[in-house]
Amino acid sequence: MSEAVMQLKNVSKTIGKKEIIKGLDFNIYSGEVFGFLGPNGAGKTTTIRMMVGLMKMSDGDIIIKGHSVNEDFKQAICHVGGIVENPEMYPFMSGWKNLVHYSRMMPDITKERIHEVVQLVGLENRIKEKAGKYSLGMRQRLGIAQALLHKPSVLILDEPTNGLDPSGIREIRAYIRKLASEEGVAVIVSSHILSEMEMMCDRIGIIKSGELISIQTVQDALQETEEKEVSIEAVPVDVTMTALKDITGKSVTREQDILTFAVEREKIPGVVSKLVHKGVHIYSINVNRSTLEDKFLDLIGEGSIE
Amino acid sequence: MNNFVQLVRNEWMKLLNQKATWIMAAILVLLVIASGVLFKIDDTATGVDAPTGDNWKQELQEQNEQLQKQEVGDIQYPGYRNVEENQYRIENDIKPTSYNAWDFVRQSRVFVALVSLFTIIVAAGITANEFRWGTIKLLLIRPISRSKILFAKYVSVLTYAWAMLVVLFVLSFIVGISLFGLDGMTEVYVYAQDGVYQQADIFSFTVSQYVLSSVELIMMATFAFMIAAVFRNTSLAIGLSIFLMMAGSSIVVFFMNKDWAKYILFANTDLNQFIEGTPMFSGITIGFSITILAVYYIVFMVVSWVFFTKRDVAGA
Repeated sequence: MSEAVMQLKNVSKTIGKKEIIKGLDFNIYSGEVFGFLGPNGAGKTTTIRMMVGLMKMSDGDIIIKGHSVNEDFKQAICHVGGIVENPEMYPFMSGWKNLVHYSRMMPDITKERIHEVVQLVGLENRIKEKAGKYSLGMRQRLGIAQALLHKPSVLILDEPTNGLDPSGIREIRAYIRKLASEEGVAVIVSSHILSEMEMMCDRIGIIKSGELISIQTVQDALQETEEKEVSIEAVPVDVTMTALKDITGKSVTREQDILTFAVEREKIPGVVSKLVHKGVHIYSINVNRSTLEDKFLDLIGEGSIE
Repeated sequence: MNNFVQLVRNEWMKLLNQKATWIMAAILVLLVIASGVLFKIDDTATGVDAPTGDNWKQELQEQNEQLQKQEVGDIQYPGYRNVEENQYRIENDIKPTSYNAWDFVRQSRVFVALVSLFTIIVAAGITANEFRWGTIKLLLIRPISRSKILFAKYVSVLTYAWAMLVVLFVLSFIVGISLFGLDGMTEVYVYAQDGVYQQADIFSFTVSQYVLSSVELIMMATFAFMIAAVFRNTSLAIGLSIFLMMAGSSIVVFFMNKDWAKYILFANTDLNQFIEGTPMFSGITIGFSITILAVYYIVFMVVSWVFFTKRDVAGA
């Protein structure tokens, strides 16, 4: 892997007598999208707040580009852009003035750079409007714009898709992927929604009750050869069931008109075309839980996820 | 240092983009103009006929005799009802002036209380609002120390207070000239300090009165700033500061006979008492008051700084 831009070293946080974060130890590399996944209250936001210096660590340290957040905050934070929780802006000022405000707090940001980020997030038509009139999606974009002003090496986005509509989520996702692959930015994204994380992250760290319980590498979906659970709704059901058993050579379960079976993802199109050949009418086909989701739920327990 | 200026510019940009700032300024302007118009219409406050003729000494003399006989009824110019003052004028050859712009500027000093109120609102909001809006989370994740951000906010509060005081002074002067006229930029002002009559140049005297009035204003604004930095709550900071500003003198009166009463902040905030009038406590000097004020001031600033820089920004 490439250079570790952020290193967490035994990061702990104790509030009162309660240990909220218990010795987190992991690295984030440039050009990757790192997902920070866990149920609500697991300590995602606390960890992010410690990364950006809003909260002090009780123990351990975070090193960003070789600078310790504890010892050398200014140097460390220079390389970080972020949104913590919601993208809150000054509602009485225009989007433009909001950006000017933050640009004055960082060295050497020109007007041209502000124009550049506005264009990057596609807000150029609405930038003169008051931020209070923006939709949540637009505020999210403005939030990303302010985070990118100083070309950070690490971009931290806390629940970036929170409150966005599906098209907004897709846009943000594409945008994050682009930043990571084209600009080599390390992006840290937190969420409690797994499916979302799977689609945008390279690696996912699962946190539960302040402990990092696992780091999973997300396979590129297209090359994945792992078995997926697929359910299909087709008539006639009996014919479909026998056909599926023949094709996959594995057991098929039936629940009313829905048939469920396991198959590698790459083989799904083949299965479908064979079924069609046999004169089966397919009404719907779904890939159920991924293996990651299974693992995730095993790890944190189904009841605790929203 | 350069980015400190940028931080102050930021605070001013935020202030000027909020409607409340303009509403407060408009209230001040309207009240000054309204009080001018009121004084113009109702001349019982300003007096019609000050003895400004060539034989003013004689007039004042007659007036004093009337006053000493306690026949106040006939005198139409309330500014010259004081026997000692009239005597001082006669002895020092200081001719009375009729009500003019300078008198109006001096009277407009009551609006310093309004400026205090507005400054308290600004001081309370400037940190606590960032918490309320949630923008503090974007403000503090910059390569700038929290101390610097806090100090920039404080300097912005001070510049706001001074700007409003200058507006008040200049506006009163303009309204005063247009409604009551001006006898001249220089004028000799006669006043009593601790019972003894003295004279001063009207301009420097009025300016120093405004400057001294700003002491209480700055103490209360600093107090509001501290409460806001500690509790991160705008309403609490505004409420508590305004309550103390209003109740301040009553608190002092209530504890008047205690030994430690003279150490209460509000016994010392009115530095004008050392210039014109009589100090609240016998034996306290301007030096004593300034020392007490400095101690309170340092405490307010240190507490603000400790809470703002050391505490975690947690919760929503």
